[in-house]
Amino acid sequence: MKLSPLMRDRLTVFAMLFPTFLVLVGFYLYPTLYNLELSFTDITLLKLRQGGEWVGLANYWEFLTSSSSFHIAFNTIFWLTAVSVTIRMILGLGFALLLNSNVLRNMKMTTIARLILLVPWATPPVVAVIAWRWLFEPTNGPLNRWLLNFGLIDDPIAFTADLATVWPSIVTIVVWNTTPLIGVSLLASLQTVPGELYEAGEIDGANRFQMFRFVTLPYLMPTISVLTLMSVIWTFNNFVYVWLTTGAGPGTYTNVLATEVYLKAFVDLRIGYSAAIGVTMAIVMGVFGALYFRFFGLSDMQDKVG
Amino acid sequence: MKRTTLKALALSTALAGLMAVSAAAETNITFRFNDSEREELRAALDEFEAANPDIKVELETISWKDSRDQFLRESAVGQGPDVVHIAFVWTQEMAEAQAVLPIEELQDYGALPNSFDDFIATDLTAYEGQHWGLPWSADTWAMVMRTDVLEEAGVAAPTTWDELLTASRTIKETTGKTGFAFPAAHQVWFPVNYYLWSNGAEFISADGNGGYEIGVSQDQLAAAMGYFKTYIDEGLAPKSILSIDQPHDPALMQALLDGDQAFAAMPTNTYRQLLGAYEEANPGQPVPFRSTVMMAGDSAPLTHLGGRTLVVNSNTDEPEAAWKLVQFLASAPLFEKYYTNQFPAQKTLLSQIEYRKEELGFAKQLADHTRTWGAYAESGVGVGPLWNVTSRAFGTALSGQSSLDQAAADLLGEIDRMLDH
Repeated sequence: MKLSPLMRDRLTVFAMLFPTFLVLVGFYLYPTLYNLELSFTDITLLKLRQGGEWVGLANYWEFLTSSSSFHIAFNTIFWLTAVSVTIRMILGLGFALLLNSNVLRNMKMTTIARLILLVPWATPPVVAVIAWRWLFEPTNGPLNRWLLNFGLIDDPIAFTADLATVWPSIVTIVVWNTTPLIGVSLLASLQTVPGELYEAGEIDGANRFQMFRFVTLPYLMPTISVLTLMSVIWTFNNFVYVWLTTGAGPGTYTNVLATEVYLKAFVDLRIGYSAAIGVTMAIVMGVFGALYFRFFGLSDMQDKVG
Repeated sequence: MKRTTLKALALSTALAGLMAVSAAAETNITFRFNDSEREELRAALDEFEAANPDIKVELETISWKDSRDQFLRESAVGQGPDVVHIAFVWTQEMAEAQAVLPIEELQDYGALPNSFDDFIATDLTAYEGQHWGLPWSADTWAMVMRTDVLEEAGVAAPTTWDELLTASRTIKETTGKTGFAFPAAHQVWFPVNYYLWSNGAEFISADGNGGYEIGVSQDQLAAAMGYFKTYIDEGLAPKSILSIDQPHDPALMQALLDGDQAFAAMPTNTYRQLLGAYEEANPGQPVPFRSTVMMAGDSAPLTHLGGRTLVVNSNTDEPEAAWKLVQFLASAPLFEKYYTNQFPAQKTLLSQIEYRKEELGFAKQLADHTRTWGAYAESGVGVGPLWNVTSRAFGTALSGQSSLDQAAADLLGEIDRMLDH
């Protein structure tokens, strides 16, 4: 049978994509479906060999009606995600504008400033948390020593154990470690803004804020939009920062969804219940992503930029 | 030239073949160990290998925190080290998960020197009529006091929880130092149980009809939470203890070494490490530490009889070599030469220990004032899950996240749910 050129092309494309498809099925689709199956069972870490029994939606019901669910959801959505993503987007934009400004260029500091900005991003999260825990340490930590030496406090602050300071401490670590990515990405976008637009703005008598508001920001919006979406999903699901900094404590004060998944699966050994929380998290993020693209669609934004 | 090359090739192939045959005759097993004495254990394993040239032992290390879950996961998929070092209280869970081999089966490969009956706390290794681990080392917690700080503050050694609180207040007032500080995160479980037991309560007790019930009232639990919270609220202990998991946390150890803290509760091996660290930093100086039994409440002081168990992975391909290693690890020379921070979990060996005078409190505690976890394990709830919910609930109370009554009620609700299951 002789294949038409179109069919040959299609077969070639299929053959080239097939290995990737297999990898996706093996490493993404299968674990996802398996996790879904586990979430409907009462399987525990002690019953891995025997398997669990079907419990329907009981795990979901227990999680959604649990007295701690609201607290965990609030921690995840407000502290870990909303606060940290907002701060990092604002700081990242600020760094990008600074690095793109003539101030640093005139001081011949552009390269060194960009390198310095990259240091936190190059630091693995585990190392970042350990370093910050040492900085926050109440008895020998440098931060407490400086605050005491400058007379700003009378007694050392237990940054990661005090309810008043524990969340700001975690957010500080997340922001420190992740803002550079935002800054560098926005810097790359900034450099694509055509200079003629600024010249036109100057001729029209626009001030600096107006230039930023009506020229720079529209050009950055597609990048900001994607970075925000990525940051939200990545932070919402993040486990490392909270777990390594506080272990979800003191008590359960900083418990978030990702640490709850770990606690239920590997501390309380309830794999099925933990899987249900994981599925819930995936659904929440899926809905968020869909709504986000609906309201801040990239194609619309690109149209606006022209 | 070609012929020479061929000869060299043939010779090297033959040598490689011989080496392969010799490697094949060698038995390789893995031992996973969780304590800090890794170099000492490696030296012990070298001695074992010298005595058993056909067995090579790879020493794997892992933190206690990850040890249980990691082994359960590996075992479920037919993997994991051959011999594993676990806590007494995990043994029944491991048996339930079919992760380990029964001792009765392993003893076919060789008997224990003083028989299995010579080991202590064997009830914690029993599950469905068989024993699933060999008690390796025994320990408990006792009180440790820094005698020079007590003298400086003019305080007598306390014997009850109330006296401990009063002494801590006096020490704070007169010296500005910390009296009693404790790990208030994960391992708050231990002092909390000692407090409850010495006041006639326990989380779970037998109901007298073959069942089990909650053995502590909400008021008793809230009072216990309030007792430990007082140390934080009154500034008698630093607030940072809320994030301290272990009694050997550097912050607690350093305060004791520097003489900034008077009292601590800790297990045997931590105390021995503390003494060693002090002597290393102050050679030839008298040691300003003494140990005493745990504080008493309305009734006598009580601590748990804890320790470590050696288990053999049910997936092992080399049960005989694994058992040989277990026998070696449980032998007297190991505790005399290598694993010296631990007490052996064998009656015969325990009776032969010569305690330092600084350790007499631990000796007395171990001999006269310990109990097993009893109903916690027998009820089916399990020590691990109970420990987790307790430390979380106490964390919420001690940090002020929840009121004492709310935290106590939540904890009782959790225990009730666990008993129902």
